[in-house]
Amino acid sequence: MISAKGLHKRYEKTVAVDDLSFEVRPGVVTGFLGPNGSGKSTTMRLMLGLDHGGGETLFDGERFTSIRRPMNCVGTLLEAKQFHPTRSARNHLKMLASANGIANARIDRVLDLVGLGPAKRKKPKGYSLGMSQRLGLAQALLGDPHTLMLDEPTNGLDPHGIHWMRDLLKSLAAEGRTIFVSSHLLSEMQLMADELVVIGRGHMIFNGDVDQFVREFTTSTVIVRSPSADAFVSALEAKGASVTKGDDGELVVSEMEIGMVGHLAFTEGIELTELSSRSASLEEAFMSATGAAEQFVAEQPIQTAQTPEGAKNA
Amino acid sequence: MLDALRFEWTRLRTLRSTYWMVGSGLVASAAIPVVLGLAASDEPLHADAVNISVNGGASFVIPFLAVFMAVVGIFATGHEYRHGTIQPTLTALPQRSRLILAKILTVTALTAVATLVSMAINATVVLVFWGEVPGLFDDPVRSALLGYLAYNLIYALVGLGLGLLFRGVPSALVVIFLMPLIIETLFVGLTMVPALEWLASAVKFLPFTAGEELMLTSPANFGPAAPDFDFFDRWASGGVFAVFAALIIGAAWILFKKRDA
Repeated sequence: MISAKGLHKRYEKTVAVDDLSFEVRPGVVTGFLGPNGSGKSTTMRLMLGLDHGGGETLFDGERFTSIRRPMNCVGTLLEAKQFHPTRSARNHLKMLASANGIANARIDRVLDLVGLGPAKRKKPKGYSLGMSQRLGLAQALLGDPHTLMLDEPTNGLDPHGIHWMRDLLKSLAAEGRTIFVSSHLLSEMQLMADELVVIGRGHMIFNGDVDQFVREFTTSTVIVRSPSADAFVSALEAKGASVTKGDDGELVVSEMEIGMVGHLAFTEGIELTELSSRSASLEEAFMSATGAAEQFVAEQPIQTAQTPEGAKNA
Repeated sequence: MLDALRFEWTRLRTLRSTYWMVGSGLVASAAIPVVLGLAASDEPLHADAVNISVNGGASFVIPFLAVFMAVVGIFATGHEYRHGTIQPTLTALPQRSRLILAKILTVTALTAVATLVSMAINATVVLVFWGEVPGLFDDPVRSALLGYLAYNLIYALVGLGLGLLFRGVPSALVVIFLMPLIIETLFVGLTMVPALEWLASAVKFLPFTAGEELMLTSPANFGPAAPDFDFFDRWASGGVFAVFAALIIGAAWILFKKRDA
C-alpha cells in the first residue's frame, strides 16, 4: 500500500505539485495519468525522496528514505538510460544489488525475465530505447519488491513488449503487489489499469476506478440509423433527448437510455436499421478531464480536403 | 554502512576508467625513476633523489598519481550525474550521507593502496638501477613519503568534492587542473614582481602549493627572484591543504543533502 499525503513541490514561481493526496492499493494496477508537464514524474520523485518538497509518502507504513535495503520493498523505474554506457547490464544490476543484499542468481533471473539474458554482458551504450526500458524494469524487479513504481515503462517497447509488460504487471498485481504505473498510452492503460490517479497542472483531477472515471467524464450515446431519421429526431427531442447527426447520417442520441430509444421507435412506428450504444473510451474521458489542465498546447494541424483521386495518388 | 561500502566498491570495480586511471598513474609515476635510473644510475643517491624517485616526481614535476586519483574522485560523483545514475543509486541507497561517506572511504582506501603500490614499484626500480634505496625508512625521506601519501589522499578527496559540488565531470576537471597548474603558479609568479611582493605572505595559504610542502625533503626552490614565503612546517602546510579539501567536501555534502537528485 502506498499512501501519499499533501505532496507539494514548487520551482520558484511555479507550483509543480499542489497538495496531492492519494492511496495506491495492493492487488490492482493503478495508472497515473496526466498531460505533459502535469507533474507526474515530479510526484514520483517526491514520493521517493529524490526531490525535496512538502508532504509525506509511506510505503507499507514507512518512508522510502528510512527503508533499509529499499529495493527489496519498492522497485522503481523512473527514466530509461540511467546507466553508465560502458558498465554492462549485469554489472549495473550487480552494483545496485550489492547495496541491497541481493544474490547474483537473482540478477541473472531478472535479466532473463525481461529478455536481456543474451545481452547481459554487453555495454548498454548500444541498447535501443526498448532494451534500456527492459534493463530499467529488471532493475525495478531486482529485489522482488512488494511495490513497483514505474514511470512510462512502455516507452520504446514494441507491440510484443507492450503486451508482455501488460501481462507481467497484471500478474504481479494478482500476486497482491502494489503497482503504480504512469503511461501516455491510454489504450494500453485502459487494458492494464484497474484504478487511476489523474492529475493536471499538479492538481488532483480524479482518484478511483477506471470505469468510474470514464463514466464521470464522458457521456454514453446511442447510435440510431433509420430511413425515417428526420421524423424520429423530432420525436426524440420531444422526449428530452439531445440528437446530433453523424458523418454517415446516423443519429447520435444522448441523455436517453438505449431501451427508451427503442421503445420510442416502436410506439412511433419508425423503422430502425441500427440501434446500438457507444461507450466512451479512456482516451475520450482523459481528454475531457484534462483538457483545461493541459499546460503545453500545440496548434491544431491544418485540415486539407483530400479527394479520392488525391488519396489514390498519395 | 557496509551495504553502502559494498555498493561503492562494486561501482568502482565495474568501471573501466578506474583501472585506466590507476594504471596510468602507476605507469607515469614509475617512468620517473626509470628515466633517472637510465640517465644517472652511476651517480650516488641522496635524499632528494630517493624521494623524487619513490614519489614518481610528485615533489619535482607533476604529481601524476595524485592527479589520476583526483580524476577517480571526480568520477565517483561526477559520473553519477553525467550518466543519470544518481537516481538509481539513490533508489538503491537513499541515505545520502551514508552514500557520500562510502564514496569518501572507498576513494581514500583505493588512493592509499595505489600510492603504496606505486611507492613499492618505484622503490623496486631504484633498487634495480642503483642496487640500494638509501635512507628509505629514515628521515627526511620517510616523513616526505608519508607526506606524499597524505598529499595524494587529500588531492583525491578534493576531486571527489569538486565532482559532487559541480554535479558533473567537466567543471571539476577544469578546476582540479586550472587551480594548481595555472592559478596558484600565476599567484606565486606575481610575488616576484617587486610591487606585488606583499602577496608573498599569502602563498603559504594556497592549498595546492602548501600541500606540496608535505612531500619535500629540502625547502622548495622557487628561483632566485622568489621572496621568502615563510611556509608552515610539513604537517601544518598539509593541514592548509586538508582544510581546503574539507571545505569543498563540506559545502558539496550540504548541497547534496539539500538539492533534488
